[in-house]
Amino acid sequence: MHDDDQNDELIGRVADELRIPVALDPGFDARVMAAVRRATPGRWRRALRWWTEPRPLRVSPLTGLACAAGVAALLVVGAVSLRPSLPSPIKGAVAVGAAVPAEPGSEMVQFVLVAPQASSVAVVGDFNDWDPSRTPLRAEAAGGVWSANVSLRSGQHQYAFVVDGKEWRPDPAAPRAVTDDFGSPNSVIVVGGKST
Amino acid sequence: MRHLLAIAILIAVAPALAAQDPRLEARLDPTTRAAVAALVDSARAAGLPTEPIIDKALEGTTKRASSDRIIAAIHTLSVDLQAARNALGPTAPDGDVIAGASAIRAGAHPEILDQIKGVRGKAGISVPLAVFTDLVARGVPADTASTVILHLAEGGASDADYAGLERSVARDIGAGAPPGASAAIRARVSTGEVGAAATGGPPPGVPATPKDPKGKPASRP
Repeated sequence: MHDDDQNDELIGRVADELRIPVALDPGFDARVMAAVRRATPGRWRRALRWWTEPRPLRVSPLTGLACAAGVAALLVVGAVSLRPSLPSPIKGAVAVGAAVPAEPGSEMVQFVLVAPQASSVAVVGDFNDWDPSRTPLRAEAAGGVWSANVSLRSGQHQYAFVVDGKEWRPDPAAPRAVTDDFGSPNSVIVVGGKST
Repeated sequence: MRHLLAIAILIAVAPALAAQDPRLEARLDPTTRAAVAALVDSARAAGLPTEPIIDKALEGTTKRASSDRIIAAIHTLSVDLQAARNALGPTAPDGDVIAGASAIRAGAHPEILDQIKGVRGKAGISVPLAVFTDLVARGVPADTASTVILHLAEGGASDADYAGLERSVARDIGAGAPPGASAAIRARVSTGEVGAAATGGPPPGVPATPKDPKGKPASRP
C-alpha cells in the first residue's frame, strides 16, 4: 500500500514536468527546413531515380507468361515485316538472298547444288552462252550448298553445273535432257505458266 | 570425211560470209567458226532462228567437243528447226519454232505441233511444248506426252495449267508412280474428267496400301 502511494506521487511529478512547454531556440525551425530541402532531390533527379533505381516487381506467373508471349509475338512480326520480299523460286528449295526481281516475261529461278568438296561452282546454260565465268554460284554459310538466282525467260532451258572449272554435273534435282550432243548430259527446266 | 570436206569448202568461202557473231569470233577456233557461220547464214536465209544454232556451238566449244562433233550437232539442230518451221508455218514466232524443234527432237511428230497451235491460237505453244519435252525427259513416252499435251489444249488449259501438270507429274514420279500413268491421269484431272478428289491419296500407279514382300497388304498399327 505504501509502495502504491510512492508510485502515484512519482508519476504525478513526471507528468507535471512533461506539461511544462519546451523552449526551442529561435533557429531550430530554419535548420530543420534546410535539412529537409537538402534531402529532397529536384524534379529531374527524382525522375531519373525513378527510372534507374532497381525495385522489386511482383507479377503472377500467368501475367509473366502472357508478357513473354507478347514480346515473342512482337519479335516474330517485326522479323517477318522487315524481311525483304523474295521472288518465288520455281526450282530448288528456298530463295535465299534473291532481292532482284525478275524481268517482265521472266521468272527468277534459283539454282542449287550441294557440293561440299568444291572450291567453285558455276551454272552454264542457254541463258548465259554456256560461259562458266558468267554465273558463279555463291557458297552458303555451311554444308557445301551453292546457289545462284537467275532471271530466265519463259520456255524450256538446258543447263549444267561446272564444278571447280572442269567437272560437268547435271542437276540431280531436275530431269536430264533427252539428247546429249557432246557427251555430258544437260538438265532441263521449264519456265513459265506461273500462276499469280 | 564428209565433214572435213565441208569444213575445207567453208574455210575457202569464209571471207565472203556475212559478219559473224562476236561470240563465235571470241570462242570458236577458225575452222569451227567458219562452218558455224555458214550454217547460221543458211538458217537465216531459210527463215529459221539462228540463236539456237549459235548457242549449240557455244555449248559444244565450252564442253571442248571436237569441231566435227559441233558441226554435226548444229546440223541436226538446223534440220529440227526446219521441220518445226514447216509444221508451224512461216509466220510462227521464233520462240515457237525453237520449242517445236526441241519437241521434235524429243520425239514429237511435227503434225502435233500444228494441231496444238490450231487449238491454242493466240495463247502460244512454247509452254505446252516445253512441258512436253520436260515430260519426255522425265520418262513419259513421247506418244503419251503428245496425247496429254494436245488433250489439255483441247480442254482450254492455260500455261499455268501446263506448269501445274508438270509439277504434279514430277511429284508423282518422285513418289514412285509410273511416268506415263501419272501424266495421263493428271491430264484428266486438269480437264475435269476426273474429280479433284482423285488428286488425293497416293499418286497414280502407286498402291494405296503398302504391301509386304509377299504381296499382302501390310498391317497398320
